[in-house]
Amino acid sequence: MPKWLRSYFLMLKWVFLSYRAWLSLNFAVQIGIAVGMIYGISFFYPGITPTIAKYLTTGAPTLIMLVAGLVIVPQIIANARTEGTFDYIWSLPVPRMAHLGADATNMFGSVLPGIILAVVLGAIHFDFSLHISLLVIPAVILIALCGTFIGYSIAFIIPKPMMVNVITQIMSFAVMLFSPVMFPGDRLPGWLQAIHKVLPIQYMADLTRGTITDLDVNLGLAFIVVGAWCVVGFIVTLIVVNRRQ
Amino acid sequence: MLLEIKKVTKVYKKKVKANDNISLSIAEGEVFGLLGPNGAGKTTLVNQIIGLTMPTSGSITLNSVDVIANPGYARESCSFQSQTQVPISGLSTMQAIELVGRIRGGKKADVRKRAMELIDMLEMGEWQKTLGLTISGGVRRLVAFCMAAVTPGKIVILDEPTNDIDPLRRRILWQEVQAMARRGSAVLLVTHNVLEAERVVDRLAIIDLGKVMGMGTPASLKQDEGDAMHLELILEPGAPEPPLPDYLQQPVIVNRRILVRVRPADITTAIDWARSLKESNAIEEFSLGPATLEDIYVQMVKNPDETDRPGEAK
Repeated sequence: MPKWLRSYFLMLKWVFLSYRAWLSLNFAVQIGIAVGMIYGISFFYPGITPTIAKYLTTGAPTLIMLVAGLVIVPQIIANARTEGTFDYIWSLPVPRMAHLGADATNMFGSVLPGIILAVVLGAIHFDFSLHISLLVIPAVILIALCGTFIGYSIAFIIPKPMMVNVITQIMSFAVMLFSPVMFPGDRLPGWLQAIHKVLPIQYMADLTRGTITDLDVNLGLAFIVVGAWCVVGFIVTLIVVNRRQ
Repeated sequence: MLLEIKKVTKVYKKKVKANDNISLSIAEGEVFGLLGPNGAGKTTLVNQIIGLTMPTSGSITLNSVDVIANPGYARESCSFQSQTQVPISGLSTMQAIELVGRIRGGKKADVRKRAMELIDMLEMGEWQKTLGLTISGGVRRLVAFCMAAVTPGKIVILDEPTNDIDPLRRRILWQEVQAMARRGSAVLLVTHNVLEAERVVDRLAIIDLGKVMGMGTPASLKQDEGDAMHLELILEPGAPEPPLPDYLQQPVIVNRRILVRVRPADITTAIDWARSLKESNAIEEFSLGPATLEDIYVQMVKNPDETDRPGEAK
């Protein structure tokens, strides 16, 4: 087996075993988030039209992945940096991207139940049929990777771990409330719409919408923009994790 | 030489000079001690060897490979026990040791056999299946040692390996350190425990304020003292320091402890002087003996209790 893959699988085992104690708690949290997103957010709306229902159902998995990548990943990294975990792991002959890849795989695996549950609950609760295309697989992987790489970049670029926590809190608000994930973009003021033309968030939401429902979205553009952000995030991550003090 | 460090200087941001022109080399099969007080720059030097930190200037080669340019080679070649605790909360003792052994390139069966050997040797059987989260700090450090020793590299770097470890297991650990050296690894032992180091190392460097203050075998470092003896006085609590006669050389005063060098010709006079201090209750006790490595260390480091040190590694 090539060294990179061997390191990846061994690190995956390490990360998974470290995380094992939290599995049952995580599962409970995932159910809570899925139920909250589908049932809870629908209380915001006086009446649920089929379009709103589809936005909520497709927005939930996107939000779960975004929060995991942009908020939870940086916070975990910030804690690990404070505890000196990286000094040890990075002294091992493990390619750093193999370690982070294992970390990201574990993170993605842990949010997968919530993602699937949110979609299934949404379709049942709002009573509409899903139109699942095979493109959902690359779409979900791309969203997860993009969010995670941006999360890593934030976690390693910001010098003080405490600052990482503050910034990710602010970002979670921005993503939840001021991003066209759970609602169409045209409800936002013009300047915010302009910002979201460049940011990947709306395109991530489009990827989910376009691959599990019949909502009309420009999937090609969404793949290109999220793909581009993913590449940038990857390059920045690669640079920051390999730099030396 | 297996590891060659030449004129390494590391200046951190804010102009903190953690290593200042350090040169040393370590051969295969050698146990080399890196001794110095907290913040002397020991961990910074280690971090540069394994490529976690980049030297400001100087060169480090391992097996003639420039490890500053190839940090990956350094990590392949060095197995490392960090001074900080290892992240093994969710792993059992056996899992942690086996995982690192395999990450370091060991074959599954070999790694298991060696892990069992280490666990048996250090009498850690009762914790074999215990999760890292629930074991004590001392056992955790033993596990960290096993993780560095399970598939040892060309160089085994141990940063304070015996902190929190009981005296019996310390002995076994030191025996294993020497055994690893006999099997061909070079061992770089980082510590401020001079007494233990003296018994284990073949050669050592004493570093302070980022500089090498002395280097050689324990015997050669002590030899510089010639036939001189060392007189140690312990002051009565609260008693003022007595004025020291001129024939007492290189006094080092740390809290209640005064250490001075005495030439052979002055020994009788010095004993009489110390006895009179004892009789007048100025001191609690005194002792005279040949120079120990600790005496040499204290002479070289001078201010072991100084807290405001520049080189404390981040």
